[in-house]
Amino acid sequence: MSLGPSAIRGRYYDGKTADVREVTVVATPGEVILRDVANAALVARWPIVELGVLGDSEHEAVPLLVRRNEEARLAIDDAEQRRALGASVPEIARLGAQRPSTAGRLLQFSVGLAAAVALFWVALQSGSDLLAPLVPNRLQARMGEGVYAQLVGQRPLCQGEKGLTALNHFVSQLAVAGGYDGPIKVRVVKDGPINAFTLPGGILILYSALIDRTADGNELGGVIAHEIGHAVHYHPIKGLVRQYGTEQILKAITGGYSEIGTLGSGGTILLALRNGRAFEREADATGVSLLEKLGLRADGMSRFFEELLKIEPHDPAAVAGIWSDHPPTAERVAATRRPPIGAPDFTDAEWQAIRTMCR
Amino acid sequence: MSDPVGGAVGLPPPFEPQPAPPHQAPALAPTRPVYDGKLSELYGIYLRHLLLMVLTLGWSRFWGRTRIRRYLWNHMAVLGDRFEYRGRGIELMVGFLIVLAILAVWAGVIWAVWHFGLHDRAVPGVDIVNLIFVSIALIGVPLAYVGQYSGLRYKLSRTRWRGIRCAMEGSSWSYGARATFLNFANAMTARLLTPVVSVNLARPRIVHARVGTQGFDFAGNVGDIYGRYVGFYFLNILAWGVAIGIAAAALGGVIERAGFGQEEIKALGDLGRLRTILLIAGAAFGAYILFGVMILPLRCWWRAYLYRYLVSHTRAGNVLFTTGISTRQMWGYLVLNYLIVLLSFGLGWPWVMHRTLRLIANELWLYGAPDGSAIGQPLDKGPRFGEGLLDMFDVSGI
Repeated sequence: MSLGPSAIRGRYYDGKTADVREVTVVATPGEVILRDVANAALVARWPIVELGVLGDSEHEAVPLLVRRNEEARLAIDDAEQRRALGASVPEIARLGAQRPSTAGRLLQFSVGLAAAVALFWVALQSGSDLLAPLVPNRLQARMGEGVYAQLVGQRPLCQGEKGLTALNHFVSQLAVAGGYDGPIKVRVVKDGPINAFTLPGGILILYSALIDRTADGNELGGVIAHEIGHAVHYHPIKGLVRQYGTEQILKAITGGYSEIGTLGSGGTILLALRNGRAFEREADATGVSLLEKLGLRADGMSRFFEELLKIEPHDPAAVAGIWSDHPPTAERVAATRRPPIGAPDFTDAEWQAIRTMCR
Repeated sequence: MSDPVGGAVGLPPPFEPQPAPPHQAPALAPTRPVYDGKLSELYGIYLRHLLLMVLTLGWSRFWGRTRIRRYLWNHMAVLGDRFEYRGRGIELMVGFLIVLAILAVWAGVIWAVWHFGLHDRAVPGVDIVNLIFVSIALIGVPLAYVGQYSGLRYKLSRTRWRGIRCAMEGSSWSYGARATFLNFANAMTARLLTPVVSVNLARPRIVHARVGTQGFDFAGNVGDIYGRYVGFYFLNILAWGVAIGIAAAALGGVIERAGFGQEEIKALGDLGRLRTILLIAGAAFGAYILFGVMILPLRCWWRAYLYRYLVSHTRAGNVLFTTGISTRQMWGYLVLNYLIVLLSFGLGWPWVMHRTLRLIANELWLYGAPDGSAIGQPLDKGPRFGEGLLDMFDVSGI
């Protein structure tokens, strides 16, 4: 079929030089013939079986017609003329493809993107719950030691043997009651702040300032039970996995640009803090229930929180809201309040040994 | 701030004469590139890229980047002929994997030194992971410059105009060494060497670039722009001084008017208090406005001048280039684009690319036309893989 010499015009590049020739394009059953517009001189004869299309109408404004294994190209700027040529030569029908509808694609990909992010988020939450207990203890301990070196470094530890034995005996009881099968060890760091935390691998850190602040063994027992709550739920490792996953998703949807990373890290921290609040609530509840399960006094935790409120009447956690990694202290007091019943968490001798272990 | 060389919209800037051309004089008929991309189409491609990025945890980025380049390149035309981008995603991925493998070997070497040489302890509290990251960060600075040059080489080798491949000669390692040295020296001299750095890093990128066998010439000299830079440098210091003075006075005024006592000022140290948070946010916003109003326009004024200088001292055979980019346009390019990307959490990237190409199309002027029959295909086909270093160490964007 012939479209007539004036029907289709294009710009021909020979692939050897940067010369351009305006050509007319005529399709015959066996070949496409290109002739110079100015003098009708034959420029090229391309057998149809050797034709190819470079690019597509989604990305290229003008997909190019080429002869395979040659560098020469033909650009037909007019979309209608490309369509006409594509229609007459089925081998290069792609040349005349319509541009896909933009509105439809925008909607389709936006919805897809939102769904993928939501799916990833759900997978991260439930996946970390599922996988955290499966991470080998050795690996967890190694990660924990790394974090310990960063957070505590070379600060001196309290070495009082009787005190340490009492603490480790207490945590072992709670861990067994909570079904935690890994090793768990307490380290008491000299001085402040008034804090305690749990690292991956069952490394439980207590600061001596916290021990000094507790009124009796049951208050300290409450704090430790809370930390064991973190350990039995594998909160440290879950927190790391979720933070890493969140960073990855943020990186993917922002293109991984460093400036965005800076801003994005704010979002990551917020999510980590949200995780933190949920973890704290769960650790509080678990700690109290483990003490009750063992028939021990479970009123110490709420009493300790009340002490904290006395020290800090403007509760930073309540003021900071979503910026806080802990729930408001008053809420925690209410949630963990228990009657003063059961055996003491530590005997008098144990409590005395713990109180003096840093001297 | 007035813009001495700024051209009216739609009109070419005044032609700046260059040293006598070595061959025939150019025809002084100005043309501009044409960009006819549509933002909605670009977003269609970009959103699909993001979707695939999430589904593949970022591994589709090589193909996504390639698709976006194909769109942008082919919607930009010079002298009526569109550019083509013929790179492939797999080439970018292989480039990345090669660099990854090299870094793994590097990490292995560091581990061996740490384990056998230092017996597992270099500095108390520093473990092997810290050592590896620090060492990679150190080599990453020069490698980012090497990556910028070799990345440009890759992109040019995959770019065609009128069917002719572009190319980049020169050694990326020598560029990396030069860039590292110049930037270090600039940092050591309180940035007084900035014109030396700008001209001496622009020169190899310009004179080693080619469209086929057609090379580019650069006739710039550091001495030409030093006077303007010194003016900018001291104006910048003055502006900082004034800005800090205004900020201090404003802060003092606010504290006095709000009736803060000694105790309350001490209490502001408590980071948990709502008033402290609001005050910090307010101060940061005020500082940003002050910085935006006083410092950035000055910087944009210098950068616009520098761009005009570099472009107008470049030629490719018969074709001369010039631009009338103004301070305001440079502000849009440097500051507004940055804010768009930052505040949209990256979703504004297509808009920024679109704006940038429109700016180029509006503000780049070409005088004369090349002799197409004298420009042939380059002999080499460019690197087989690309941009691994750029992907690893630099913000490579698109």
